[in-house]
Amino acid sequence: MVNPVLALVKRLSGRDRGDRRRVRRATFRVAAASAAQASATVFLIMRRMRAPLIVLIVIFAVSVLGLTVIPGQDENGEPLRMSFFDAFYVMSYTATTIGFGEIPVPFTYNQRMWVTVSIYLTVIGWAYAIGSLLALLQDRAFRSALSLQHFSRKVARLREPFLLIAGHGRTGELVGRSFDKLGRRFVVLDLDQERIDRLELGSYVSDVPGLAADARDPGHLAVAGLGHACCEAVVALTNDEEANLTIVMAAALLRPDLPVIARVSSRTIAERMQAFGTPSTVNAFDRFGDHLRLALRAPAAYQLKSWLESGPGAELPERGAPPSSGRWVVFGYGRLGRELTSDLRAEGMDVTVVEVQPTDADGADLLVGDASDPWVLAQSDLDRAVGVVAGTDNDTTNLSLVAAARRSNPSLFVAARQNRPASAPLFAAMDIDALLVPTEVVAHEVYAQLSTPLLWRFLREMPGQGEAWAEEVVDRLTAVCGTRLQTLWKVRLTAQHAPALQGWLASGEATLGALLRNPEDREAPLHAVVLLAMRDREATLAPGEDHVLRPGDELLFAGRAAARRALSTTLLVPGVLEYVLTGRRVPASWVWRALAPGRPASPDAAGRGPA
Amino acid sequence: MNLEKVVFGFFVVLAATLNFGFFIGDISDPDLHNPYELFAAVVVNLIATVLKFGDRTQIGAVHLATSLVAVLQLVAATLLYGYATHVSSAGMNESWTASVVSLSGGALLANIVSVVLLVVETVSFHRD
Repeated sequence: MVNPVLALVKRLSGRDRGDRRRVRRATFRVAAASAAQASATVFLIMRRMRAPLIVLIVIFAVSVLGLTVIPGQDENGEPLRMSFFDAFYVMSYTATTIGFGEIPVPFTYNQRMWVTVSIYLTVIGWAYAIGSLLALLQDRAFRSALSLQHFSRKVARLREPFLLIAGHGRTGELVGRSFDKLGRRFVVLDLDQERIDRLELGSYVSDVPGLAADARDPGHLAVAGLGHACCEAVVALTNDEEANLTIVMAAALLRPDLPVIARVSSRTIAERMQAFGTPSTVNAFDRFGDHLRLALRAPAAYQLKSWLESGPGAELPERGAPPSSGRWVVFGYGRLGRELTSDLRAEGMDVTVVEVQPTDADGADLLVGDASDPWVLAQSDLDRAVGVVAGTDNDTTNLSLVAAARRSNPSLFVAARQNRPASAPLFAAMDIDALLVPTEVVAHEVYAQLSTPLLWRFLREMPGQGEAWAEEVVDRLTAVCGTRLQTLWKVRLTAQHAPALQGWLASGEATLGALLRNPEDREAPLHAVVLLAMRDREATLAPGEDHVLRPGDELLFAGRAAARRALSTTLLVPGVLEYVLTGRRVPASWVWRALAPGRPASPDAAGRGPA
Repeated sequence: MNLEKVVFGFFVVLAATLNFGFFIGDISDPDLHNPYELFAAVVVNLIATVLKFGDRTQIGAVHLATSLVAVLQLVAATLLYGYATHVSSAGMNESWTASVVSLSGGALLANIVSVVLLVVETVSFHRD
């Protein structure tokens, strides 16, 4: 939803060009190599069509020549030679099995014999040529070359900022969908053709270019827009850690200026990624541990965070009431178990770990045994625990653990890990207090980081504001939006984006409360909440009505789409601003302004601010 | 000796010679320009064009371009010939003949470029 004119101006007045050009040249080279591969396939196809085409030409030439040479007769029995045109005409309809008959005059037996021979010849020629052409069209290499060309053309034509998503599994799909809802464009690379086909069935608002190719190949990344001026970020979400690392490397080396977000599940890979620039790594287990800590400390803050991260249209999640002290039982001491145990212990909880293999539980209470064994369950003493984590990598085990734990102690706080998307309805029916779905955690995190920098800033600084503050923000949001999150948008109070406001802002009396009135009826407030006000890298979270605005401030709004439209009118039309601030209706047109008694016809009438 | 090169050179040269054979003679005298020769020139030029398909070198691309020009001119000449003999009431008179032959003359120029390219390619070929 970027104004194309603005985008063009931005492109024309591109800053720090020299540096960027050097880097881009490198990506162009890589892209060219990949495109050359595709065109090589096309040349091979043309080469393979040589023989069938020549056979067809020769057969046609011989048959036509024969018809013109063999003498015929006209109606009166006079000798008549067929002209080249007649012969070509007869051969064309005969060879293509249309068969109009003997034109222009009935043939002699000589001619009929020759036509019989040429019918068989031409049918063979056509069958050969068409057969080879169809076989080539079915050729896998040819088809993939065609789709590569189609894809690179589509990407090269993109004129809006877009995301490059490598990996279109469950996570990639979630990320893509939430960005599509924001009206942003993205490009998808995935190994699996089926997932790329799913893009077409996905009914996205905008057209999504997708290519079934290995994202580990820098050439494919370059074709997918790594070197494109409008590429705004690279997201590596494949299931393969090594592939994600390769993507991070390629992006850091070819486009060091681009932000990169990668999904990781092990710390070693995350550290190897950090060697290349400053990619943002998202570890689902680590983040879930952080979320759980936040939920234990400040349930309202956690509620607000998870609501905003879920993107537009999300339902307000329930505010849990996790126990703030007591003993937790963690089943499964894998990657998730390890993270959660250390996080829970950092929060001052006692932790009992239940694991099949004897491991070093790092100081926590360890119980070795199979978690599905009733005897082990009895040993873990769930009656006196406050919380339980079912964190094995088997959904069946996790579900049965939750059921068993609930039976022995119904008041337990239950955290569980869902591994397969197919199990989602079962976990939903279990009504888990804190459910970890790794794909969703990663998708939400990527969304929060990339949707707007302001939202990311808000989410990072929000946990420090305390529980009471978070409760108040949730109340303000629900008062404006209801229980379903509406749109989030950013407003910059610059001369370009808010021309009507400049004089008023410079007066130093511009307060947020005065601006957020309905331009139709100023008694009614605007149905929008300011989540964050940013001035020179300094952020104010959820500023109040008396927050003073200055030129150049950036604001992050949450609210209804109607409020967004109303606000943009206020920002752009001086007359509307005047009404919103003072209640006076000012004529908007030049003629009426000139005629209005005692009012200067200057456009900065709004500059005087409220009396 | 590369058989592919032999076939290629054969068709390129034959296309030029047939074209020349049709072109030579008084431009407006239909008796000096045999339609069978024009037919042969069209067929051989088509084959030469197809033989140039799928060559990725620079010189291959120019080869293909000249051949396409020659085929285009010759096909235009045959269309004119067909129109003159079957549609036009005047028949194959001097002006129609001149048009057909001058079109084939253009094709001849393209074919000569093709032959020159072939010679250049052969001369510049060094065996390491």
